[in-house]
Amino acid sequence: MAKTILVVDDSSSVRQVVGIALKAAGYDIIEASDGRDALSKLTGQKVHLMISDVNMPNMDGITFVKEVKKLPAYKFTPIIMLTTESQDSKKLEGQAAGAKAWIVKPFQPAQMMAAVSKLIMP
Amino acid sequence: MDINLDSALQTYIVEARDLLHQMEEALLVLENDPNDSDTVDSLFRGAHTIKGSAGLFGLTPIVSFTHGVEDLLDRVRDATLNIDSALIALLLACTDHICELVDVVAERSASLDAQAVQRENALRERLMTYQVSTPTSPDTWVRQSVIDDSAVRAANLDWHISLRFGEQVYRNGMDPFSFLRYLNTLGEILHIVTTTTAMPALPEMDPESCYLGFDIRFRSAQTFETINEAFDFVRDDCAVHILSPRASLSEFAALLGQLPESRDHAERLLVESGSLLPGELDSVQSQLPTQPSPSTDLELPADPVQLRGDSAPQATAREQKSRESRYVRVHADKLEELINLVGELVIAGAGAKLLASYNPESELRDATAAVAELVEKTLDCALRMRMVPIGDTFSRFQRVVRDVSKELGKDIELEISGGETELDKTVVERIGDPLMHLIRNALDHGIEAPAVRQANGKQARGRLRLNAFHDAGNIVVEIIDDGRGLDRERILEKGRERNLVPAGATPSDSDIYNLIFEPGFSTAEAVTNLSGRGVGMDVVKRNITALRGSIDLDSRSGEGTTVRIRLPLTLAIIDGFLVGVGEAFYVIPLERVQECMELTSAANDAARRCGYIDLRGEVLPLLFMHDYFSIEEAGAGSRRQNVVVVHHLSKKIGLVVDELMGEYQTVIKPLGKLFGALHGFGGSSILGNGAIALILDIPALLTRLSEDSRACVSKSTTTSESLSVSQGQRS
Repeated sequence: MAKTILVVDDSSSVRQVVGIALKAAGYDIIEASDGRDALSKLTGQKVHLMISDVNMPNMDGITFVKEVKKLPAYKFTPIIMLTTESQDSKKLEGQAAGAKAWIVKPFQPAQMMAAVSKLIMP
Repeated sequence: MDINLDSALQTYIVEARDLLHQMEEALLVLENDPNDSDTVDSLFRGAHTIKGSAGLFGLTPIVSFTHGVEDLLDRVRDATLNIDSALIALLLACTDHICELVDVVAERSASLDAQAVQRENALRERLMTYQVSTPTSPDTWVRQSVIDDSAVRAANLDWHISLRFGEQVYRNGMDPFSFLRYLNTLGEILHIVTTTTAMPALPEMDPESCYLGFDIRFRSAQTFETINEAFDFVRDDCAVHILSPRASLSEFAALLGQLPESRDHAERLLVESGSLLPGELDSVQSQLPTQPSPSTDLELPADPVQLRGDSAPQATAREQKSRESRYVRVHADKLEELINLVGELVIAGAGAKLLASYNPESELRDATAAVAELVEKTLDCALRMRMVPIGDTFSRFQRVVRDVSKELGKDIELEISGGETELDKTVVERIGDPLMHLIRNALDHGIEAPAVRQANGKQARGRLRLNAFHDAGNIVVEIIDDGRGLDRERILEKGRERNLVPAGATPSDSDIYNLIFEPGFSTAEAVTNLSGRGVGMDVVKRNITALRGSIDLDSRSGEGTTVRIRLPLTLAIIDGFLVGVGEAFYVIPLERVQECMELTSAANDAARRCGYIDLRGEVLPLLFMHDYFSIEEAGAGSRRQNVVVVHHLSKKIGLVVDELMGEYQTVIKPLGKLFGALHGFGGSSILGNGAIALILDIPALLTRLSEDSRACVSKSTTTSESLSVSQGQRS
């Protein structure tokens, strides 16, 4: 069965690109537009990986990670943060919250696939 | 990977434009309230998203330019940079430029034109002036061994990698084995030894913690950096030691000192993994310090949060007021199709209802009535989907007002009200240009310079107001300024000069003011208030009329001018009034109908002779539709005839028709190209019984008629020209 990846980003074009790339690699995708939306979509189904932006309205990525870590069903799920080089402090904050992996924006789909394949196998 | 990102790119373009618009609004808000941190955040987020997404598509120009803007905003956010008007002006110029860059992408043109490139360079320089030299952040991870990469290409490609995973690894979502699998994609794991010495006694063991370590002999032609990168995500939770194929024995010796295991055990691991030969071990041992410094590598904090305790805790879920509500993006074409289909449904529904009305079975009638009701609701709903608040269009002018007033050295404030008033998106899109023209006129010529205003006892700050409200199925947009008003006398003078006002006649004030909408009327020297933008007011009027709207204005000398635009809510459907002329049907837009009355046969004869009737003491010219459209009388002339009084602006005319059929909700079907040359028709509609009704365009008809009558007067002929639409053409 295909593995499921939750993609959280307020930019629909990012979600689209990430989605296209991941689907092409055989993953199932759940999309969410911000942290709050993402939490509402975590309803107990198996999620193998989460990719989340940092800067989002309603609930930012750091808070989202902290919330995910409180959920027994998802606390072991790897999380990739989408950061930018100008946000080193955010990256550290994200790591402190429990998102140990990151991809620096802007990124090419291939870079993302490399990051994903470090964490899970299709 | 070959993936097609075209559709996503379209999404990006729309998204970027929206974000730029939001950023512009945010900047204007900040200009008044520089300390609004929520707005700063959303501004930053805008730039951030535009840049981030652009990178996905490899749009390097956008990424590189926006990067500078984002940096600047980041410092504004950190409050290391204060917002002042110069900064706002720069950022506004930057959003404009990003918009241009996005346009380049949208138009698929190769690159910016030379001017834009120049602008970009200038902007970059200005951005640079805000730049401070920040020390490059030190590499957080100190490399364990320094390798000469060129040496890797030597015959020996066997690396040694020691991994000691920390207890937190699983809790951080990491699976040690996925890293090993990934490592295998970079080369070949020749041998792997697992060490479990960190495993505590069973009672103390936490099944959620990781106690594993690995020593790996790894064959790969990759560089140190690439192999090292494989462990980027786990660096916090894992002590990684990588020894290159050319590592010296002293490096191995150093490694032995760093591994947490007892030296004997560590030595055994290295030998077992095959990285060290038993013979080499002796020489390594001789290089070992007698008292190895205690290793710190595995003393990972139980919770990494403690480590970063000093970094400011991210504001606990700064729950922004959910201004940014959620939408589903739908392609406009799809909506268009839906509305078209619903239009057809309305027609088909009307047909069914008509058939049912011939049928005595009441059940059938009930059923069709229920369907008709639902169809109507669906129609309303479909039309509402295309309704957008006019506020977005209004708020775009904040920027215009700001820029133009700065340029003119005036102090003008834009006040917006009724922004929530909704109207059809197609109307909104086409109202922008006329509004822009009117607003620029008001700024340029309406509102006086501060000194003049003060001299006239007004506040130095001028006020421009945009207002919108619903009024009887229309939306009214008002542009109100408190400037000097129109110069009545000069307009009248000019009107006389151009023969627009008959000599001796004294038209009403409003008639005079509305003269400026005449083609070619406004010239800079003639009218001081509204002129001088190259495009005349007649173009504004034409644009509005094309939207089936109307425009008029009111002005008081010294107090200001109010321009009022009246627009239909939607272009797809109108409330019509259906009339019958002979065998033909016509729909008159309901808002043009003033009243209906019977034309008695006695009055008819008189009216036919002179062409007008007495409407409560007013002269009402008549248009006999039979004659005008060359429709044969259906029966004898004895049938009752009716007059529908229609109006446009201050003109009125009575249309003489046979039958009044009442209000009729009309789905407009555009006329085909073949009928493009016809004046006086706004489209067609299909009636429930399948017959076609033409929709009369009253303003065009009135214009045509007054032209005709002028022509007739000059030619001294009495017969009116026909629009020559015969029955045959229509069916």
